[in-house]
Amino acid sequence: MSAAHNASYLSRIKPGWKFGSLLVLSIGLYLISSWQVLLVAFILSVALLASARVDLKQLRAPLISIVIILGVVFILLGIQTNWLNAVSSVLRLLTMCLLAYSVSLSTRFSEMLELFQQVASPIRVVGGNPDQVALALSMTIRFIPELKKVYNEVREAQHARGLANNPLAVTVPLVIRSLKIADETAEALDARGFDSAPANH
Amino acid sequence: MELPPIRIENVTVRYDERDVLKDVNITLDERRIGIIGANGAGKSTLSRLLNGLVLPTVGTVRIGELSTKEHAKQIRREVGFVFQNPANQIIMPIVSEDIAFGLKNLGLPKNERQLRVSTTLSELGISHLSDRESHTLSGGEQQMVALASVLAMRPKTVVFDEPTTMLDLRNRLGFQREIAKLEQRAIVITHDLEILEDFERVLVVTNGQVSFDGLPQAAIDHYRAWSHA
Repeated sequence: MSAAHNASYLSRIKPGWKFGSLLVLSIGLYLISSWQVLLVAFILSVALLASARVDLKQLRAPLISIVIILGVVFILLGIQTNWLNAVSSVLRLLTMCLLAYSVSLSTRFSEMLELFQQVASPIRVVGGNPDQVALALSMTIRFIPELKKVYNEVREAQHARGLANNPLAVTVPLVIRSLKIADETAEALDARGFDSAPANH
Repeated sequence: MELPPIRIENVTVRYDERDVLKDVNITLDERRIGIIGANGAGKSTLSRLLNGLVLPTVGTVRIGELSTKEHAKQIRREVGFVFQNPANQIIMPIVSEDIAFGLKNLGLPKNERQLRVSTTLSELGISHLSDRESHTLSGGEQQMVALASVLAMRPKTVVFDEPTTMLDLRNRLGFQREIAKLEQRAIVITHDLEILEDFERVLVVTNGQVSFDGLPQAAIDHYRAWSHA
């Protein structure tokens, strides 16, 4: 999840600072055990998210999932340890999630990618290419919905033939179509001047 | 805009012992050129020769003075390519970032990239798509974004490989209008013969050879006669 266009003050802060602060705050939260302090941190993270002017529609589905997961965590921890500890843990995790959303939803994907390239630049020493890794990362995010679409199409086609529950009937065309997409995308990368030369360029 | 001629000299392309193109000799210097032919005739291979995506087994392809074998990088700047399925051509998750992708590969500074992205989107009338996630675009929108990503790189020639195959009538007509407006040279591989009406030259490719080279109507007549034979 990233900000396509976010005009809040958070979007104007350099991504390195935001992600660095997120890392430090997340570690800091683990050093706090008082539920009262964690509650204050949680309220502050809600305020931060609210002030980041993010698209709440984008947040609805993931937040519902998180609340469900944390509900289960809360019950298990409450039974296994004690309920106060469960409250602290859930508040800590929820605060970290909200902080992470505030950062990711106020940072453009390209900015995250540039940051990743900077952070990963030491891999050049061992012959790696951070540009290629960053590209692979962005293409993974880009093509997950495409592959899901292909999967649905294949499943629908096999359903029409009465083979929807046959894993082989779905997997084989899915793999073939995925390879075709990979082939065409590689050609497009080439046509758009992507230089796949390894490292130091 | 000065358009360098494209010279295809004695070109043969061979895959697995099979000649996909056989001894093709043509010079392309018109602004609107169509390429038609049956499936598997060699049209796509011919189109891919023009920006070095496919290299000739025998012969040379030159854009102006640049050979596709020796100057691949410069050729990619000169000749843009719009693929049949735009979904596979869009690399980045957000539209504006996808258009900036090619510009980054050209080594342009960030300010210049941003300016070119907004100018190109505005010229094509799709500024409203700038912040959209690529996978949420309709087929027509995807094709326009694919075109924008190519035009932003300011090529002198744009090759279209069956660009309207996946479009409905409205989007097809819209895309046709955009091609007509281009100041670049447009080379269009298509089964959609109506697109070619106003073109200056149309090549018919059959069995790996250019079997006809002339004005649109004559080329279409030739292709129809060949298809019925």
